[in-house]
This record gives sequence, C-alpha cells and structure tokens, in this order.
Amino acid sequence: MRRKQVLSLFMLVLGVAMLVAAISVGAASSSSKKAGSAEANKGGTLKLNQAESDFDFVDPQLAYRTDDWSMIYTTAMPLVGFPEKAGAAGAQLVPIGATSFPTVSGNGKTYTFHIRPGLKFSDGSALTAAAYQRSWERILSPKMGSPLGVNLSLQDDIVGAKAFLDGKASKISGISAKGLTLSFHLTAPNATFVSILSMMWFTPVKPSTPYSTTGLNVYPAAGPYYIASRDPGRSTVLKRNPYYKGDRPANPDQIVFTPNVNTDQSLLQVKAGQADLDIIGIPATAAAGLAQQYGVNKGRFWVGPTSCVSYMAMNNARAPFNNLNVRKAVEYAIDRPAQVRLLGAYAGKRTAQMLVPGIPGYKPFNAYPIKGADVAKAKSIGGAAIASAPTLNVVHTTSTASTNRAQVAEFNLKQIGFKVNDQPTPATNYYQVIQTRGTSYNFVTNGGWCADYFDPFDYINVLFDGRKLQAANNNNYAYFNNATFNKALDHASALSGSARAAAYAQLDHDLMAKYAPVVPYVISTNRFFTASRVKNWIYSTYQGSPYLNALAVG
Amino acid sequence: MVAALEVKDLSTSFRTDDGIVQAVSGVSFQLDPGSTLGVVGESGSGKSVTFLTVMGLVDPRQATVRGSVLLQGEEMLGASQSRMRQVRGRTIGMIFQDPMTSLNPVKTIGWQLQEAVLIHQDVSKKEARKQAIDILKEVEIPRADQRIDDYPHQFSGGMRQRVMIAMALINNPEILIADEPTTALDVTTQAQILRLMKKLQAEYETAIVMITHDLGVVAELADQVIVMYGGKVVEQAQVDDLFAKPEMPYTWGLLGSLPRLNATGSRLDQIPGQPPSLLNPPSGCPFHPRCEFVMPICRVELPGLDLSTVGNDHRFRCHLDEESRARIWAQKKAALVSEDAA
Amino acid sequence: MTQFLIRRIFWAIFLFLVATIITYLIFWVIPSDPAALAAGKSATPADIARVRHFLHLDEPIWKQYLRFVWQLVRHGSLGESFVNRQPVRTIISKDAPVTASLVFGGAVLWLSLSIPVGILSALRPRSIMDRVTMTLVLIGISAHPVWIGLIFSYVFGYKLGLTPIAGYCNFFPGTVGAQCEGPVQWAYHLILPWCTFMILFAALYVRLIRANVMETMNEDYVRTARAKGASQRRVMVQHVLRNSMLPVVTILGMDLGLALGGAIFTEGIFNLPGLGHEIIQAYGRADLPLITGIVVFSTIAVIVFNFLVDVTYGFLDPRIRPS
Repeated sequence: MRRKQVLSLFMLVLGVAMLVAAISVGAASSSSKKAGSAEANKGGTLKLNQAESDFDFVDPQLAYRTDDWSMIYTTAMPLVGFPEKAGAAGAQLVPIGATSFPTVSGNGKTYTFHIRPGLKFSDGSALTAAAYQRSWERILSPKMGSPLGVNLSLQDDIVGAKAFLDGKASKISGISAKGLTLSFHLTAPNATFVSILSMMWFTPVKPSTPYSTTGLNVYPAAGPYYIASRDPGRSTVLKRNPYYKGDRPANPDQIVFTPNVNTDQSLLQVKAGQADLDIIGIPATAAAGLAQQYGVNKGRFWVGPTSCVSYMAMNNARAPFNNLNVRKAVEYAIDRPAQVRLLGAYAGKRTAQMLVPGIPGYKPFNAYPIKGADVAKAKSIGGAAIASAPTLNVVHTTSTASTNRAQVAEFNLKQIGFKVNDQPTPATNYYQVIQTRGTSYNFVTNGGWCADYFDPFDYINVLFDGRKLQAANNNNYAYFNNATFNKALDHASALSGSARAAAYAQLDHDLMAKYAPVVPYVISTNRFFTASRVKNWIYSTYQGSPYLNALAVG
Repeated sequence: MVAALEVKDLSTSFRTDDGIVQAVSGVSFQLDPGSTLGVVGESGSGKSVTFLTVMGLVDPRQATVRGSVLLQGEEMLGASQSRMRQVRGRTIGMIFQDPMTSLNPVKTIGWQLQEAVLIHQDVSKKEARKQAIDILKEVEIPRADQRIDDYPHQFSGGMRQRVMIAMALINNPEILIADEPTTALDVTTQAQILRLMKKLQAEYETAIVMITHDLGVVAELADQVIVMYGGKVVEQAQVDDLFAKPEMPYTWGLLGSLPRLNATGSRLDQIPGQPPSLLNPPSGCPFHPRCEFVMPICRVELPGLDLSTVGNDHRFRCHLDEESRARIWAQKKAALVSEDAA
Repeated sequence: MTQFLIRRIFWAIFLFLVATIITYLIFWVIPSDPAALAAGKSATPADIARVRHFLHLDEPIWKQYLRFVWQLVRHGSLGESFVNRQPVRTIISKDAPVTASLVFGGAVLWLSLSIPVGILSALRPRSIMDRVTMTLVLIGISAHPVWIGLIFSYVFGYKLGLTPIAGYCNFFPGTVGAQCEGPVQWAYHLILPWCTFMILFAALYVRLIRANVMETMNEDYVRTARAKGASQRRVMVQHVLRNSMLPVVTILGMDLGLALGGAIFTEGIFNLPGLGHEIIQAYGRADLPLITGIVVFSTIAVIVFNFLVDVTYGFLDPRIRPS
C-alpha cells in the first residue's frame, strides 16, 4: 500500500495475465543475447551510480524503498522469489530458499516450508529455519521500531504476533523453526501469504543478529552477494558470497554503489565509462537522444515497464469537483500527450484508466481521449458550471518536473474556462496538505500509484473505497465516496479467478466512465543507460530495474 | 663655494586624462650650504612639485622634466634610479606635511628609523638602533630608549613630526627639504618644531628648504625667499629685502593678508580670485587675472625676472614701472602701519 | 586580552543560541510532519503516532529544543537523523573534511592566484595585462559556479578525459571497497572542484587586492619610504603589501566561514559528499536534527573564523590591539 514514490516490490502471480501484460508493454525482449547464462563474463567491479539518492537503510528489516530492495535482492535468500530470467520465466514465483512451495494445512491456516540443506551465510555459518524466524522478529519487535510490519498488519495475520509486537511475549508463538523446518500459523486463511514472503523484509538473517534502531550496515547474507561495507552517503560495496549455493548469477566480483550523484553528471560518467549504470535512471531530456543513437533495448539504452500509473486527482468532496459533469469536462480538457512529452522520450504509455497491464482485470479502453485535449467537448459538458466554479487551488510539489506538469495542466484548465490558483508546495508538506480530510485543495497534479501486489484490489479498493477515509493519511485523496460503487467493490473483492478479473474490469470501466474521480494519463516506463562494457541485461518488472547480480562487466 | 643645490630653468609637466598640466615652468634658484631657503606660495603654485622633481619622486611615466638640477655640482636630472636612491635619504632628506599619515602605521618608529640607516649605511642592526635612539634624543623625544619601540599612533602630532625630522636627518644629509612641516600642527607645537629645526641646522650645518604658505614661518627661519605663483617664480630675495620692499602685486597681497594681532579691521585682506588652472595657464603674467593693477601687456607677455633696486640678487616679475611700484607699496605699507598704530 | 576573549566567547554562545532557536522556530512554523516522513507514506495514524513518540516529536517545541541543547552540552551529541537514524555528529564529522578540503584547497589556490595578479595589475594600471585581467575578473564574478562547474566537468572531464567527471576520494587510505583513495587521487578528483569554487573568489580578491594596493601606493608613508631612498622592492614588500593585505585578512576570514556553507553548488555538481550537499538533501526530507546540526556546525565555524580574524588582525595591525 505504498504509492509511486515508495515503489512497492512484490507481486502475486495468479495467472498468465502477467505474461500477456509484460509482452504487451513491449519489454519482453529486453535482454541481451546471453540471457540466463550465469557463466557469462564473470569478474570485474560493477560501478553503479544512484542519482540524487542513497539507500536509506540496508538492513533488510528496515529498508522499504525500491532501490533498497533491488540491492538487497542480490544478497537475499528468501523462501520464494523471482528468478533472474527474462520474459515469462522471470514472472514466475519460484522457491529459492525453500525446497518447494509450502504444504498448507486443510484449514488453510498453517504453512510449512522445508529449507534447502547445505545453505550457508557469507561468514560460513549454516542457514536454518531459525534465520527466517529471526527476520520476522526483527520486523515486529518493538526494540527495532520498524514501522514496516505494521503497515501490512502482519501482527494481525500471524498467531501471537500482536503479543510480540506489544512487548508481551518474547517470541512469536505462531512461527516455529526446528532445524530446517519452518511453520507459520495464521489467524485466518490468506491467499496472498506465500507471495508476501518474497518481500525483502523476510530474507533470513543469522539468529544472533541484534536488534538495531539505526539499522545494521553490514551483516552476513546467504544470497549471491553480501554487503562488505557501507558508508551512508558515500558508498556501499557488495562482494560475491563465497558460500553461496544455488544457480542465481553472481557475475561481477564486486558491486559498488556511489550515491547522491548529480543526475546529469551521472549520465556523463556512464558515457565516459567511469560508471556502468545509474540505477535511478537518466535525465528525462536525454532519452530521445540516447534512443536515436543506440536504439531501444538493443544494448545501451533500455526501456522497461512498470506497474505504475500516474494520475491527477480532483477533490470530489468540494465544489466544483463534486459535480460529475465538471469532472468529466476536465477529463476531456487535460492534454495527455503533452504530459507524456514533458517526461521525455519513452516515458510511458498514455492511458485513461486506473488498472495497468499485468493486473488481472486489465482491459484496455479509453473513456476519454488520449490523443489530445478536446476543448469543445469539455466546454459543452461542463457548461455553466465551469464559469460559476470557484477558483481552483492547484497543488503540486516544487520539483522542476512537477512544476512543468502543473503548468501544462493549468493551461488546459484555463482553456475551458476555469480560474486557477497555483500552489507550489514543498515535498515535506505535500502529503499533509492533500491527505488530510477537509483539505482545501481542488486539483492535484502529482498523483500516482504502483502495485504492491498484482491484484486489482490494490488499485481500485485501496484508492477509491470512500468508507476507508479517515482524518489524515488518506490514499483516496480524491475523497471519492459513492455508495453504489462501494457495494460493487465488496462484491468484486469476494470473488476469485476469472470472475474476479471480469468484475474488476467492469469496475475499472465504470470508475472512469460513470464517476471520473481522477484523471489518469500515463503508465510509466523506466529508462536506463549502460556503459559499453555492460552485458547480460535482464530486466525485472516488479523491481523496475535490471537484476544487478546478472549484469556482466568481466 | 659650490652651492648645495642649484636649480636652473626647471619645468615639470604631467600627462593627465584631461590634458597636460604644467606644474612647474622655468624655475631657477640656488641654495647655499647651511642656509635656509623659504619657498612661498598658495596650493597649486608648484612649490611642492618643484622639490619632488628635485628628489626624483615624480612618476617618469607621466611627468616630463626639463632643465637642470645640480646637487653639489652633480647633475641629477637624467641620473640613474640607483643614484637617485642613494641621494634620497642620504644627501637630501625630506619631511612632509601630515605626520599622521607619513609614517607607516604598522611598524614601530624604531624600525622605520633603523630602515633609514640600513638603507644607506653598512652597519649592524644594533648600531642602527643606537643611532636611532641618539637621533630621537636629539629631536627631544623623552624616554627615547623606551619610546623607540612604540608605534606612530602612540605619539602626538608634534612628536610624530619630530620623529619625521629625526628620520630625515639620521644620515646627516646636506639638505633637508621640509614641505609644510608645521601646517598640520597647532601654533605652540609649530613654534617648538621651528625652534628645533633651527637648533639642528646649527648643529649639523644642514641647508634647509622650507616650503610654506605662511610668511610668518619664512620670516623666522629663512635666509632667502622665493615666491612662486602658477608654477613660476614671481619674486626672489633675501628675506629682509623681501619684507622691506616687495616688488610685485602678489607679494604685496601676501604681506597684506597676514593676520595681525592688533588689527582692528573686521576682515582679513584677501587676494581676490582663485589660483590659476595649471591645465590651461593664463597667457602672459600668471597673476594677471587677479591683479588689481593689470595692464593690457600683462595679458600678453610674461614679465621677465628683473633686478630690484633694493637688495642683493632681488628679482621679480612685473610690467609695472619702478615708480608705480614704489608708490603703490608705500601706500599699502602706510595702510598696514596705520592699522598697527590704531 | 582575557577580557577580550571572555567577551568574544559570550558573544559566540549568544549567537549559537539565536541561530539554533531560529532554526527550530522555522520548523515549527512550517507545517510539516517529520514523523509521517519517517514512518512511510502509507503508514496508518497509529504507526505515525508510534514513530512520533519514538522520535520525541510529540513534545512541545521548547522541550525538544531544550532536549537538544542538553544532549549537545552533556553528551556532545547532536541527535540522530530522522531519515536513517545515523548520529548527526557522525554524519557531520564525515562530511566536514570533504567541505574543508574543497574550501581550504580552493582558498590556497585563489590566494596564490589573486595576490600576484592583483599586485601586478596595481603596478601597471591600464596596461593591456591589467585590462585583460579586469575583463576576466568580471566574467569570474558574473558566471555562476554551477555553470562553470558543468562546463569544466564536461570539457575537461568528459570530452578531454583529463580529470574525473565527479566523485571524491578520501585522503587517508583504508576504507573497505573504496574505488580510489590516498592523497594523489584525493587531489586529482579535487582539481576541477577547486577551480570551479575558486573562480568567483579569485575574481573578487583580484579586484580587492588591486584596489587596495593601488590605494596604498598613494599613501603618504609610501612617499616617505621613497624619500628615504628605499628601493621599489623594499617599498612594495615592507610598506605596501603589509598594509594593503590587512583588509584581505579580514575578508578572508569571513569568506572561509561563509564558504563552508556556500560550497553547496560545487559539491552538488561534482558529487562531493560535504556539508553543503548534505544540508540540501536534509532540507528536502525535513530531517530536523541533521539540518540543525549542520546549522550549528556552520555557525560555530563562522564564529571561530571571525574570532581568528580578529586575533590575526590585532596581531597584524598595532593600532587596534587591545592595550
């Protein structure tokens, strides 16, 4: 339940729809000739830049951002996870630390895993079930102070977890670890349980790993790499794990991260070969030139899909956007192609709906024009309500990209007759302003959402169920609350399989065609540029970046 | 006897952004060893520039100098820089008007005195320091051996001027040029400084050039006087002769404008008008724009330096004839005397 | 002299309090919620409350401030970053040497350049050399360090490949996994940042020194020195330079104090992990302890440098020594 700025990281595979989606966005072929060859070009030091950012934590039980996780994944040995393979094969959840998928008890409440024998941490010690138990303890212990576990309400899912969280128990009674056997006792059946175990929070750590409110910087890991050193703000160095057992690739000898680089300078360094790749991306303005020079997904310039949709939100709880026709007028007025052009070349696909490819229930349709604004139609639908509308408070953050985006949107709004009050808001205040109930904003241009897991509930219910609105921290900051729609939401979420997909397809359609609470405009792609010596590019859609352990620079 | 300093037909002009400034033109005089020459004139008369030229302190990139300067018979104009540096501070010493700004504020006076010695004498620092203390005693600085390590800002104005004098005399020069040394001091201190200079002159047999606008100072100290105006010498005489029979209107004006203790008039007699522009000097006689006795010829022709009937080598520039001048001076003198008497 | 020192120390403490109080007030006035940021954007109110309590943000602002002062005085601690819970003191002690490398190295360079150029220009006013210098000075003052930095980095780093494009290397070797370290690499990576950083200051100082020297050369005591028969060299060294450099000392002290904070642009372009870079990021994330820590550190730096300037000036100019 994180939004775009804190990309989410794990997905639930319920079918082949994922494969269809991945191919349709056009990135299935985004791998080089040596795809899957773990022996290709071993050796060397992979030099990675992180433009304008750094890992906030590398402690797996505290880290919660995408770039944190794509790094941690190279060191991780989760029970289940996604293999470093391109295309459909990479979209299949497979057992990694476990010998196989778990056996589930009859009542659906007990999951039992067997850990692969012979696995070791990078310090040579053996990896047993207790290591997985330890990761859960570190997530939920009040002595870590990690806010992550409670985000998913894990304390309610596992027996004895709440008592542990409240400090009343010294162990989580619902997790038992004996030798290589690991069992979870859930409070209720949970169809998504296995998939959440692929999240990096549950990567095992040695049972002796201490709690740490500041987070550990180095610790033994069981994956292909381990963190050899970390200097926050300066560098992070991974080294190949000599004790790793498994067939995941570990091509570079060393992976070095240099954070906080200026975005443009980072690109220059990659071009000059002084760095291999910036894992955050490239300056938006550089995309067109790079594509022209190197082609797309042909060896240097890469475009990869994400599950993220960007949208502009209207405050449905306040005039004028409590009026459906006015909202629909805005849907026709916003120039979607212009917004996508602002993001540079290959920034994504235009859209006018909330669901994205890969989510069951995604059926492409356009309730509103995606080829450009239709000012006449907008004016005719909005009618007199636009002229009598109060001045719109348009809120956006102060970055260059946001300001540009807001400028274009405001132009569109004024074109159909609105008066606009531009309100740039620093990122530190932004969420407070828009997420507090009763807020005075009318129009927000910074909206966006990415999948926490691949189920339409994560998009439709989470963002548009008005009954969940609270005093503050609302994800539904369109403040959309429609009783009929809410009933349909309840109905759909109880379904499963193809019935579920069909019901959500309908909801996705009705949401835009009948209610139009927000203005989606682009499904974003991530763009990367590699140095000439980098080979073996395998892209992970759920990470939104390449598998770092597969890249070859030897 | 060779003159200590003989200047013949000296001219100095400066190239400026506005044009050529003729600061000094055709100045000639002679300074005898051990005697005092008073140089009188207003600001801008060229009196300071004349002696800066003699010292070689004018910027050769901007100034054009013509004429002859004989220092004890040796030609100085055109001499090398190193020769000039030998002369400055050793054969000729110079002191300036404002003792406050003429001393380096961040060095002790002892250091500055020692510097004067060490530039010209091949002695040890200790010896230089001893000479410094000695000369400070000569100029009557009390507790010289302690005060030698003080900074200029720790001295009063009169004391600083004494230090300046000490610095100029420490190498026992033949000539001391004093450019308005007492102008910035109060009357009492002024008297002290002048007395000191007279004493030192007697002791060291130094020739002194006393540049001033104050005729009172001249009367007290000088043997010989030259009066400068507009960059030219307009009158020169022995001091007694000058006061006895001044021969040209500017000199009359200077004498008439001397404040007198017992005068009853409400205003000082001024010479009306302003000093001439040296950029565009007046044609003919430099004083003619302000002269109450101006005649047509004064505007056209510069009067030559004629000999006066009174005195030895008393010269002046004026187109008025002898009779007129004598008459006018007699009238003026009577007026001054009657003021005294009243 | 002790009285002078005591007064300066009290003044320093007063300045320190004012600067830190103002920083805290600004955060009180701007409605932002660091707890929400620390907790994660989809945290429930309960989580945020938990985090808020953990970070002491639910206390009144004056209590937070006093807690901060107490921690600083008693434990020498500046608190912990809200973002990654690192001790602020550690962050600053890692960043300060980087900024110091840039600033002091830059200062050495700009002084080495501006003093001779300023003096030569003053000695030959309006010559060709002087006019060329003054034009370059105008460009140096007008061009923004970001622009200069990007141009240098692109031309010398990327196109010509003479220097690294960006990055910093520790002076003392011994960091695990460091891509470069040691004095040679340290200096090599700092060449472009030094040049970028120093251009503005060099230009300002050339102008300042030229004006001072020209003015000093017209002083009466310089004339006196010449009248004593001093050589041009002696006049310049003993009389002109000592006096014309006094204002330079004052301004240098102030500039060093300010530059510690103002190296922001250069640090950003060249990815130098110094205090300027750090505080920009901290501001964007409402990381109050880190911001306050850097403000405190910079204030202390400015105070210390101004104090040193006062003492040095007193040493150089006898007129203002407290007697």
